[in-house]
Amino acid sequence: MKKAILYLNQFFGQIGGEDKADFEPTLEDKPVGSAGIFNGIAKNVKIEQTLICGDNFMASHTDEAIAQCLKLLEGRKFDIFIAGPAFNAGRYGNACGQICKAVQEKFKVPAITSMNEENPGVEMFKREIYIFQGGNRATAIKQDMAAMAAFADKIASGAPLLPAAMEGYFPRGIRHEVFLEDLGMEPVMACDRAVEMLLLKLKGDGYLTELPIPKQDLVPIAPAVQDIRKIKIALVTSGGIVPKDNPDRIESASATKWGKYSIAGLDKLTAPEFKTIHAGYDPEQADKNPNVVEPLDAIRALQKEGRLGEVDDYFYTTVGTGTTQGEAARMGREIAAELKDRGVEAVILTAT
Amino acid sequence: MKLEIGKFFVKKITFGPKTEYADGVLSIDKDAALAKVMEDEHITAAELHIVNPGDLVRLVPVKDAYEMRCRVAGAKGIYPGVTSPLESAAHGRIHALKDASLLVVGKHWGSFQDGILDMGGPFQRNTIYGAMRNLVLIADTDEEFERHEQQKTNHALRWAGFRLSEYIGECLRDLKPEELESWELDALNRRSADVQKLPSVVYVLQPQTQMEVPGFNTLVYGWNANHMLPTYMHPNEILGGAVVSGSFMPCSSKISTFEHCNNPTIKSLLKAHGKTLNFLGVIMSNLNVVMEQKVRMAVMVAQMASSLGADGAIVAEEGYGNPDVDYIQVLVELEKVGVKTVGISNECTGRDGKSQPLVALDAAATALISTGNVSQMYTLQPMPLVLGELEALARDGLSGGWEGCVKADGSAVLENNAMFCSDHPSGFSVKRCFDF
Repeated sequence: MKKAILYLNQFFGQIGGEDKADFEPTLEDKPVGSAGIFNGIAKNVKIEQTLICGDNFMASHTDEAIAQCLKLLEGRKFDIFIAGPAFNAGRYGNACGQICKAVQEKFKVPAITSMNEENPGVEMFKREIYIFQGGNRATAIKQDMAAMAAFADKIASGAPLLPAAMEGYFPRGIRHEVFLEDLGMEPVMACDRAVEMLLLKLKGDGYLTELPIPKQDLVPIAPAVQDIRKIKIALVTSGGIVPKDNPDRIESASATKWGKYSIAGLDKLTAPEFKTIHAGYDPEQADKNPNVVEPLDAIRALQKEGRLGEVDDYFYTTVGTGTTQGEAARMGREIAAELKDRGVEAVILTAT
Repeated sequence: MKLEIGKFFVKKITFGPKTEYADGVLSIDKDAALAKVMEDEHITAAELHIVNPGDLVRLVPVKDAYEMRCRVAGAKGIYPGVTSPLESAAHGRIHALKDASLLVVGKHWGSFQDGILDMGGPFQRNTIYGAMRNLVLIADTDEEFERHEQQKTNHALRWAGFRLSEYIGECLRDLKPEELESWELDALNRRSADVQKLPSVVYVLQPQTQMEVPGFNTLVYGWNANHMLPTYMHPNEILGGAVVSGSFMPCSSKISTFEHCNNPTIKSLLKAHGKTLNFLGVIMSNLNVVMEQKVRMAVMVAQMASSLGADGAIVAEEGYGNPDVDYIQVLVELEKVGVKTVGISNECTGRDGKSQPLVALDAAATALISTGNVSQMYTLQPMPLVLGELEALARDGLSGGWEGCVKADGSAVLENNAMFCSDHPSGFSVKRCFDF
């Protein structure tokens, strides 16, 4: 029998209502609340402990709450981590996502939660953890818990896991090939699937692409700057130019961090003081002359000629290779907020 | 234009005193067959083997697969413009051995486009050839200029395959087929009203043609299809042997010569013709190197489909990576001119499954068939018998193999990329990618 630990908020953990939302993490050595539903269904895994934390505490002191939770779990033997279900409750969804992600990373056990598709936590965490498609309200608790229990039971039994749509969780951005017969489907050849799909498409009804094209998040191009001499601009790059010791430890691929480094008083970026850490292109030229990626030399020349106005004292940098769209968007938002604070109105963004 | 294909269903292949076929038994005169192979002075060693479904045999490096067939009416041979006189492949009659193929395998040396094929065990089902009775030619050549190149034209071996598949097929010439399939399409402007009111469909084939150096690309009537603009073809031409496979495509994405001659998408469309759709024919396209060529090709395909009156198109890509750009471009241009599309291709989602499945994406590609994942990782257990040389997978730059991927005990780890024709973009694939 495998062991699971369940995470609940103050309400479902039977501590109290909104007035107890600041409740700090505690670990109960027993199944609490909906753990009973889980234990009634799963044959190969049992919830023996329950971790409870107030939604507000998790939302407003996230780092501290996670640290406390992880500390409580230290030394406990468990194989699977369950959180929620969180329905369409935004704070609870965020809490379930945060704790699942942290526990999965630290203890290397699969983490499962459940949310309604409208819950913002789905978009935030679906790539990291199993999030089952849950009901809108707490009235769905039985079926949502049952879905998680059945899946946890399957993981515990070692049985092969089916695609997301068949299991009922939100796709995690992972695609693998599977023989149709292994899913109990008719092994229809690709050519016949194509003819059938085309006839349906020509009729205009119900066909389902086998390779959904992700929605592209196109940002409208901003109106042109009227007079670039009168505004403050900044340099931003995804080309991985950093000070030589890479002080913020920005990753060479699949970056999750960005950095901001002073260029005040510099005429150009000199080697070896600056270099690239980008793993997606041949670094030879950029390491010799970082200005080929982050063109400070050209910017200063234009400033001297009076063709450019003020340039921000920092440049902003990360690595674009293998970086997920989600991480890129987050870093973009963070950099943009910083730029706005510093009164920057336009940027020169160099890619590679 | 009518093409008949007389079928002879092979239940057993054996070696015997004479090359002949009777009652499901194909008997091969080994000496005569090998003499046909050795007609090319560049072949330095050759042997023949027979493998059957379920045999615990691994073949590697597999170069190409062929249908053993002969032409009894129409053109003078089975590969016009390649090993036969240049005549139309679209009509006449072919006699062909079914449930069987000829596989050509390097005795030692592999190349980028070569693959691995298991006749038994868990990976038998990964290609259609695992379910067939196969004659296997294992041979070596004196092509020293490319001996240690990752990219090989494999000319001597591929041409040996053409000659040998025809030599064996010749034994069917005077026999009465067990089954006869007949493909005929009326000219576009002479089709009955009943047919014309059905949705009109074209098939766009994008075979691999991205090598600028001669000797590697798919041939159309013997012509390097890299040097071709999209052209309109009768489906019978392809079934009749006008197109032969090249020597460049990473192997799981490859369309073998066998698969061109038996293109299942063409057959599905021919079967549906007059029933659920009006099959207008094939637009033979290609895959290109630079963006301008890609766009030119796509614009011309779209014009042709539109002028032919197509309501819909099925587009198939032999490849992944860079050629995804040509593939998506064609889908986009077709949709732009109002031709509704379905695409057939594999995906390359990375070993962790998290990479973008195609290099190019476009919201216009709303209906895509997925035939597999190039980068799916597999572990092969040792096989009692390997025909060819297993080390080629690790040593010679086969796509999907790498230095050290073959273990001393004969097991191997590899990417699906190295499995011979396993994604079958021709249409045979019975797998696909799913979201996890």
